[in-house]
Amino acid sequence: MKTKKLSAVLAVSTALTLILGACSGKGEQSQSPSSSAPAASPGETAKASDKPAEKTKIIYWTAGRHDADYVKSAIDKFNASNPDNIEVEMTIMAENFAQSLDLAFASNQAPDVFSATDVIDHSKKGYLEPLNNYLTPEIKTQFGDRAFIEGYNMVDGNIYSLPNSGSTLRLVYNAEAFEKAGIASPPKSLAEMVDAAKKITEVGKKDGLYGFALPYKNPASALGRSAVPIAELSGVPGQGYDFKTGKFDFAGYKPVIDAFKEMKDNGSTLPGSESLDIDPLRAQFAEGKIGMYLSYSSEPGVYKNQFPIKIKWDAALPPTIDGTYKGIVNQGVGASRWLALSSKSANKEAAWKFMSYMYSEEVLIGYQENGLGILSVPSVAQKANKPDIAGIENFLPGEYDGMWPAAPQGFSPEGKTWQEEFMKYILVGGDFDSIAQDLNTRYNAALDKEKAAGTIKAEPMPDFDPIKLQGAAQ
Amino acid sequence: MRTWRRSAEPYLFIMPSLVLKLIFGVYPILWALRFMFYDYKGYGEPVFSGLANFERLMRDKLFWESVLNTFVYAGGKLLFTIPLALVLAVILNGKLRGRQLLRGVYFMPTVVSTAVMSVVFYIIFNSYNGLLNQVLKMTTVISEPLDWLGTDLAMFTAILVAAWGAIGNNMLLFLAGLQGIPKDVLESAEIDGANSWQRFRYITVPMLGPVLQIIMMLAIITALKGYESIMVLTGGGPAGKTEVMYLYMYKLLFPVSTGESIPQDIGYGSAVGFASAIIVGLITAAYFYYSKKTSRIY
Amino acid sequence: MRAGVAASKPNSKSAFSFGRAASKLGGRLTLWAFLIVMAVLVLFPIVMAILGSLKTNSELNAGTSLLPQDWQWSNYTYTWKEANFSLYAWNSIFLSVLSTIGILLVASMAAYAVDRREFHGKRMFIFLQSMMMFIALGVIVLKPQFNLMVKLGLHQSLWGVIILLVAGHQFIFFILFGFMKGIHRELDEAAMIDGAGFGYIYVRIVLPLLTPALGVSALFAFRGAWNEYILPLVFTMTQPKLMPLTVGLANLRYGYGGAVQSHLMLAGAVLSMLPILVMYVLANKMFMQMSAGALKG
Repeated sequence: MKTKKLSAVLAVSTALTLILGACSGKGEQSQSPSSSAPAASPGETAKASDKPAEKTKIIYWTAGRHDADYVKSAIDKFNASNPDNIEVEMTIMAENFAQSLDLAFASNQAPDVFSATDVIDHSKKGYLEPLNNYLTPEIKTQFGDRAFIEGYNMVDGNIYSLPNSGSTLRLVYNAEAFEKAGIASPPKSLAEMVDAAKKITEVGKKDGLYGFALPYKNPASALGRSAVPIAELSGVPGQGYDFKTGKFDFAGYKPVIDAFKEMKDNGSTLPGSESLDIDPLRAQFAEGKIGMYLSYSSEPGVYKNQFPIKIKWDAALPPTIDGTYKGIVNQGVGASRWLALSSKSANKEAAWKFMSYMYSEEVLIGYQENGLGILSVPSVAQKANKPDIAGIENFLPGEYDGMWPAAPQGFSPEGKTWQEEFMKYILVGGDFDSIAQDLNTRYNAALDKEKAAGTIKAEPMPDFDPIKLQGAAQ
Repeated sequence: MRTWRRSAEPYLFIMPSLVLKLIFGVYPILWALRFMFYDYKGYGEPVFSGLANFERLMRDKLFWESVLNTFVYAGGKLLFTIPLALVLAVILNGKLRGRQLLRGVYFMPTVVSTAVMSVVFYIIFNSYNGLLNQVLKMTTVISEPLDWLGTDLAMFTAILVAAWGAIGNNMLLFLAGLQGIPKDVLESAEIDGANSWQRFRYITVPMLGPVLQIIMMLAIITALKGYESIMVLTGGGPAGKTEVMYLYMYKLLFPVSTGESIPQDIGYGSAVGFASAIIVGLITAAYFYYSKKTSRIY
Repeated sequence: MRAGVAASKPNSKSAFSFGRAASKLGGRLTLWAFLIVMAVLVLFPIVMAILGSLKTNSELNAGTSLLPQDWQWSNYTYTWKEANFSLYAWNSIFLSVLSTIGILLVASMAAYAVDRREFHGKRMFIFLQSMMMFIALGVIVLKPQFNLMVKLGLHQSLWGVIILLVAGHQFIFFILFGFMKGIHRELDEAAMIDGAGFGYIYVRIVLPLLTPALGVSALFAFRGAWNEYILPLVFTMTQPKLMPLTVGLANLRYGYGGAVQSHLMLAGAVLSMLPILVMYVLANKMFMQMSAGALKG
């Protein structure tokens, strides 16, 4: 008898669950907490009609956090003033961006506009809408013909994003520490850098000051901001891909990685660097505990707003292998793209209107003047003032900044990446030549596989010379 | 009629579990596991590749290193966690002033999420000016700061952090188990002159029997599968010293960011996941077999 | 063993009892020393987390100090407001309470049937549960799970999350199964002689005896649901009002500025701790106090 009662209870509760489940989940008023215009629109979820009488909702996901404030205010202005009754809602996805985007597309909840963080990968996955037909002649003039680079923001002639601003890479150094150690000027070569680090550590160690540091916890992030620009300025391709031969060759990195290893081994690198993240590093630099490190042009903003800096500091071009400049510092992929349009968007026209507003001169100029980036669109950059942030001057692009061609991307070798292998060498040791050899074999094997499948075209460019890239940014 | 209903009863009771598991557990896993046999990197069409992923698994140094790391990690974690959890549970099961408060205290670590605590642990274990080093220096236990998250000590630190988080959980489980031991049996043993160690050894432990076995089994499985705290603490580094099986698999399956240390490969990642599951299963089975053999009560 | 016990009996009453009292005191002291040391080790990181939530971001990241220089209570007010905390907390509670109830129901019923009855396919069932424990492919199974939910129309509701969480009860199943084994069959048999049915025994005899295990399981299930991130993330991507704390707070972490807002993250985490602590106190009161009186005799 009791069993019957139990089964009855079970049956009723199951039924209730199903009924309640079916009722809930209908769209409610969506209001993203982290941003979005104060004017809330009544109505259903993201899909709305295109008629001007009703609001068209555009969802925008950004991976950038440092510019979120400014972008939000630009969006607020757009929402208040645009004649087509479009409302844009911004969400910052930052760390989980790649994963969230994949999940969103897989579950048909993709945003309309999003940060173009990885054009190659996203175009392969079919996320991106080509913008070729949306570009008006005015826009094309504004951006100039060098704005669209195959492999960066264009794939097989399909333009997927437009440039905004990029960052430049510099050697960031503690001027007071240099004075204390009797170093007259920032190092120009690897040998000078190693020497400077040693001197600074000698005079500063008792106060906890060390010559050098990098956020080694994440090898790609650490080497990407340090070893790569040093190599590139010296004429060695940053991703290990030799444009002349069309093959990977990592041997050129040897002097750079050896220098880092030396600084680790002789104790002039901040202890604990192997587990150091970029933020704790910045905090220590702000406290005056680090002599020098390398990083992007976002640093001045960080030291102005978030980690109030207590020492005199400055920035200089990264050192090169032998002190001469045989190449340029790559303004990088980031300089060539910003926003992308989802191929699955239900409101592409409206989304494009939003995008073209964001790409207007007014918004782009404000970007640089607020210190959020260094404009890579020459026509607009001429009209913008320098941002009002201490220390930004030496980050501004000069003769030795520019764009390298795109190395083959979007494929993966078996085993560890070159950053991980070099990191291991720096921390644990080994034989660099055989490590480089192994990397070459693995990367080239993967490259050949992609070439055979026709997904990547990697032709050798025998006339390529990185010196010729100098002076292009101006 | 009676027997028909009797034989139907167990099926009725397992029905919700079975239905949910089959639909939302088995089917998605099979759906995901089929990628083991494909070459699929996250974009484009998966291409059937037969046993290629498994062939790669056999010669993958990284994978077998991660298996070794997993054993070290799990072994160390259990070594620290289980005895402490058991002792604490026994102590807090008896008459003790403030035992409720203490139970709450030891439970605290499990209340905070691992991602959050990693920030704090970084501050503590930081070899540059971390709090632990400061304390040890002040009490002159060490003269030079120890590199807790460096290549030599990272695994040890990871084990400490894991144990820190797990002691409370296991203590609670043991406590629940101890509640099931009738107090009068213990009391009469005490009257007979058995001291606390003897009571523990000859009454408590045997009577915990099946409960102990289950707690151990779950602890072993959790330890072998653990990766989240490692991921946030060291990211598997430095130089792969704390890379455990499930972390390796995670990196293969999910795009963390471009240029991350291990590129995405869903086909191979599924194979790694499958192999890891088999390894965990084998160890669990071995544990069962061993515990059955060593004590008839277990 | 008998001989050993006999040997510890005192031969000289007064001398031994003094020695015994002294060693008992010494034993007591060591015991307390041990407990306090453990408590300090356990609590220290948590106290640091709380202190960290009251620091500025740069102070936190520099990591030198113990106490904050200035107590940044604004971290909490900011987090509460910006993170729409009360709404998210409610969503988290909703999610966690319902999945806990679901998990306990489903798992205990299954554990009961498996432990108390033989039936065809029992081995397979246990094997199924264990396989679910070993295989942890993580988020990749989310895609087919989500598609299933779309078919059921639950893909934008927290009910979808709840059902998926309840479906993942294998751990709790084994906990309850293990504890179930420790409950003596004699009780069942006595009740059956009295004419009690399968379900009756389950409700009236087994469940009450299982309360310590149920309490612990409830705690684990609640906490698991509370800390769940990726699953509700996918389901509430387009429904910000349904986001639980884990999802809502993650947005806050990456606020405005190049560095991660760790100080706000800690403030959010401390606030999130409170409901679980409440849950723990509840579980403790309701379940742990019951001693196994029923087994006497």
